[in-house]
Amino acid sequence: MAVLMVIVPVYLLVKYSISDIGSINTGGAAIPLWPENPTLRSYAYLFTDHNFYQVILNSVIVAFSTVLLSMIIGVPAAYFLGRYRIPGRRMVLLGIISVRLFPDIVSVIPITEFFIHTGLHQTFTGVILSHTLLALPYVIFIGIGAFESIPVDLEQQAWVLGASRYQTFLKILMPLAIPGLAAAAIYTFLLSWDEFIFAYYIVFGRQELFTMTLYLNGIKHAAPQNLLAAISVCLSVPVVLFSFLVQRYMIAGISTGSVK
Amino acid sequence: MIFSFFGKLSEWIKRAWPLIPATLYLSGFQIVVFVYLGTLSLSDQARNIDFPSIQPIVELFSDKYFRQALLNTFLFTLVGTPLELLSGLFLALLLYQSFFLRGFIRSIFLIPLAIPALVTAMLLYILFDYPGGHINHLLIGNYPPLPAILDQPINWRGSAFFAMGISLLGKVWRDMPISMLILLAGLNSIDPELFDAAKTMGASLRKRIFSIMLPLIIPAISTVLLLRTVEMWKEFIFPYILAGRYRLLGTLIDFYYYDVGNSHKAAAVAMIMVLCILVSTFLILRTMDLLQKAAFKR
Repeated sequence: MAVLMVIVPVYLLVKYSISDIGSINTGGAAIPLWPENPTLRSYAYLFTDHNFYQVILNSVIVAFSTVLLSMIIGVPAAYFLGRYRIPGRRMVLLGIISVRLFPDIVSVIPITEFFIHTGLHQTFTGVILSHTLLALPYVIFIGIGAFESIPVDLEQQAWVLGASRYQTFLKILMPLAIPGLAAAAIYTFLLSWDEFIFAYYIVFGRQELFTMTLYLNGIKHAAPQNLLAAISVCLSVPVVLFSFLVQRYMIAGISTGSVK
Repeated sequence: MIFSFFGKLSEWIKRAWPLIPATLYLSGFQIVVFVYLGTLSLSDQARNIDFPSIQPIVELFSDKYFRQALLNTFLFTLVGTPLELLSGLFLALLLYQSFFLRGFIRSIFLIPLAIPALVTAMLLYILFDYPGGHINHLLIGNYPPLPAILDQPINWRGSAFFAMGISLLGKVWRDMPISMLILLAGLNSIDPELFDAAKTMGASLRKRIFSIMLPLIIPAISTVLLLRTVEMWKEFIFPYILAGRYRLLGTLIDFYYYDVGNSHKAAAVAMIMVLCILVSTFLILRTMDLLQKAAFKR
């Protein structure tokens, strides 16, 4: 029964996305429980729509840039915190995580106002900067785990054999830390891909910058339900697939309380 | 002395440089958030109220929209937090009794978390449509042999009670896996021998649950309560899509900022949301602390 509770809504979403309009506007007759005339018309419509490609492209641009920026800033910090025991380490970790404890809907107002004053409002740069802010704590926490799991001996042996700190980092540590860092990157991508609040406030109605979530929200009153469901499926599929890839890291993150 | 300070500083920077970009980035934004939130919420340019003044915050309490939203959010949190705890506990107990396909079922239970919240909200938007959603069709008896419970379809999103209800449903459905995982971690840390010993000594199932299991997972329960309460107070996306003009504090911030165009008022509501979160965090920590002491005293 518990399994059904999870599966049925997912099934209904997919069912709606392949329903023809006659199975939705039934004029009072029962809405069929399984697709009577399954059709891919909603998807065909979406994928012949020039706007939809633009929206996907926008989402991908924002998400990739967020991954890039948060890895550039986050990985060195994760390396340092995972490798060295500094005084006040707990305080630093607490400070990093406290960013995520602050409600999004609260911090979005000051950040939007700040972007209005600095000319970043209604730009991709603004969205990317804010998504990086959201992702950075995750990148650092997952990264610390990745670096901590590599034995210190390995590094010391490299030093003994005459490798410099940078060589050790690039040739020894990085290759071993890649799986964990890849998980952090995927996680960041997904976070940015399905983020709504910051994108909504910072893009503020500028349609050519709309990401997937903004597009879905923007047409919710106008579009037929099968189209809404089809967009929802397109939005979810990458997230569901990749979430299972990084499930292990996600669970570790939740257990330590770093994922909300 | 100043030289030695700068000497130490540059020494530290040389050693800790990898940490510096992230620290600057995060603390920079933190400062922006605090400064802007503080100045916006404690002043009002349009009415010549200069910073700092608590007048804008005090005045909110005589604003009918705010009072309604505060009450709604309080009820939302009060009902939603226990629901999230119970649904998480239910799923965690199901998984804890090890049976085959456990890993697979756990993956299935994680699905709600993997689906974007906006999509879940949109699905409920479609299912609870008026007059023609699945739920209305189910309740007016369009799917025999299931009986008709209603004569007329319900306008779910048009009523404060039901709009809050379906927002809550979506929120709890989506967040179940998080509570489940935390509680499962708590359950797995209990030594199974404890249960066996109690069983041998003749403790009933009820006794084993209430006297052994629950006291031992109090830390996990308090983590769930703490995280979930914060989440409930700050909820935005479900009421935004599903509850329209029946607002929580989260959607009220949006209403003042976007619809009314008053960033000062929006910031003042945001400030109060943060205060509510701090107060309820403190209360939960105190209560759980007392509860744990009481449980182990017995």
